[in-house]
Amino acid sequence: MHIPDNYLSPETCIAMTAAMVPVWAVSIKKVKDALPKDKIPKMGVGGSFSFLGMMFNVPLPGGTTGHAVGGTLIALLLGPWAACIAVSMALLLQALIFGDGGILAFGANCFNMAFVLPFVGYAVTHLIAPKFGTEESTKKRDLIAAGVGSYCGLNAAALCAAIEFGIQPMLFTDAAGNALYCPYGLGVAIPAMMIGHLTLFGLVEVIFTCAILAFVRSAAPEMQLSHKESHTSMPLKVFLGALILATPLGLLATGTAWGEWGTDEIADTGIGYTPQGMLDGFQFEAIIPDYSVAGMPEWIGYILSAVIGAACMVILFKLVSLLKKGGSAA
Amino acid sequence: MDRTLMRLLGRILESDTKRTDSKLPRILPALRLSVVLLCILLCALSRNAVFVVGILAAELIRLAFLPPQRIAGVLGRLALPVLFTLLIMLPSVFLGHPRTMLTVTMKVTCSVLLLLLANEEMDWKDVTGAFRSLHIPGIFTMTLDMTMRFLVLLGRLADAMLEAISLRTFDILKGRKRDRARYMTAGGVLGTTFLVSQRMATQTYEAMECRGYDGVYRSYEKHRFGWQDAVYALLIPLAIAAFIYCQAAL
Repeated sequence: MHIPDNYLSPETCIAMTAAMVPVWAVSIKKVKDALPKDKIPKMGVGGSFSFLGMMFNVPLPGGTTGHAVGGTLIALLLGPWAACIAVSMALLLQALIFGDGGILAFGANCFNMAFVLPFVGYAVTHLIAPKFGTEESTKKRDLIAAGVGSYCGLNAAALCAAIEFGIQPMLFTDAAGNALYCPYGLGVAIPAMMIGHLTLFGLVEVIFTCAILAFVRSAAPEMQLSHKESHTSMPLKVFLGALILATPLGLLATGTAWGEWGTDEIADTGIGYTPQGMLDGFQFEAIIPDYSVAGMPEWIGYILSAVIGAACMVILFKLVSLLKKGGSAA
Repeated sequence: MDRTLMRLLGRILESDTKRTDSKLPRILPALRLSVVLLCILLCALSRNAVFVVGILAAELIRLAFLPPQRIAGVLGRLALPVLFTLLIMLPSVFLGHPRTMLTVTMKVTCSVLLLLLANEEMDWKDVTGAFRSLHIPGIFTMTLDMTMRFLVLLGRLADAMLEAISLRTFDILKGRKRDRARYMTAGGVLGTTFLVSQRMATQTYEAMECRGYDGVYRSYEKHRFGWQDAVYALLIPLAIAAFIYCQAAL
């Protein structure tokens, strides 16, 4: 679901970023007002979950791949506004260091995965279980609600990404009628994106959300906003470590996710040409492109990327906690 | 000048008085220092970015476990050398080798981060103790130890003199004239500090001889080699093996 650069026109990218600016502004204000200082580093842990979740690629017959995002999980633990900031930061890190998702398309990616996904997931969950997380609610009901919420959130985000892809050939073509950016219209983009997300990828998101939610509630309750304890417990650290070591499982999925092909691949997907906007578009060389280090086996590059990503997320939000006055950060 | 002096004094006093994190396992300082020096050496020798990225990932994990205040301190001190390296290496980008700038900056970041994290985990007396364990000549250890202690004492002296000068010139001279007078007296302050340092050094050495100093620097803190040290010592062959593997891979 990470839209690379040059798949969306610069105009679309500007519009999506402009749409995200007020969301980020309100999110920062809400987090500043509502989240205690010692809970802010937990946003980093949540962001790490999201970052690592996005590394577990799952294959779908036909050669495409997808992954969980974990936005609903963070929204249910720390609130949707905190989830918006945490997932945005994870996406920024992925774009800048690992070249996963475009720099120009950062606003669009954030709109889909950091705004639509956690807010829809959170709203659906609370619609099904209005007393989610309180003593009056049962564990089973909460997990079912979280599962349905995360499924709806992921699919809403995928639908937004498909629409963003699909409107490109309607709006931007060259004199010959060829698409300048993403060449697939709504008729192709929506089914191509949604079939995978409505089936396997949605299921992966549900399992990811429910499994981590159940683990956090039993072994690491400090991750929840309602819990007063803020010191990161040992089981949570071990769990994050295990998740990092397991990330090479994502390499089992071969192929490229739909809409994330390189400029050398897109002509072979059936359209027979490479859109001009992609050939002449913005190119950014990431430090560790595609989570791999040149000359190293892929699994080592994957683990190193997971370690760097998770550590950066925690460090970043620990530093952010210093900006907030009062309380103490653990 | 006085602000810089105060900042330097603050830094030294902080490192002199701070206690190491009690939650960290007590590792033999000499072993800790050896691993740090080895990693810096291997990073410098590395012909590609693979090994450096690995060390950087490990350092970032260690950094992530520190409290926010200490992370900010470490990153604050890391920023200047990294920016300076970026600036120095900038011409390589214009000469068509942007990767060189990245590789060198990563090596510098890695080395400085290793030292800063070691500084976070070790007291100054641990470092001098480690020198002793590593059989570094006593005269070298003593000189280094004395330098650190005299920096504090002489810093205080210089600060007191600067304060006296500020009070004497207050309201007598104004604007640029006052600034010029201050710069003129800076030489005097440094000269006096130097003379006092000579006297203090002689007195300290005599006092040490009176207390039985015979040229051998002894560490009185006993640290038995435990299982935690043994596990930590495994990092040395691991780092060397990883280095050889990374060099052979390309």
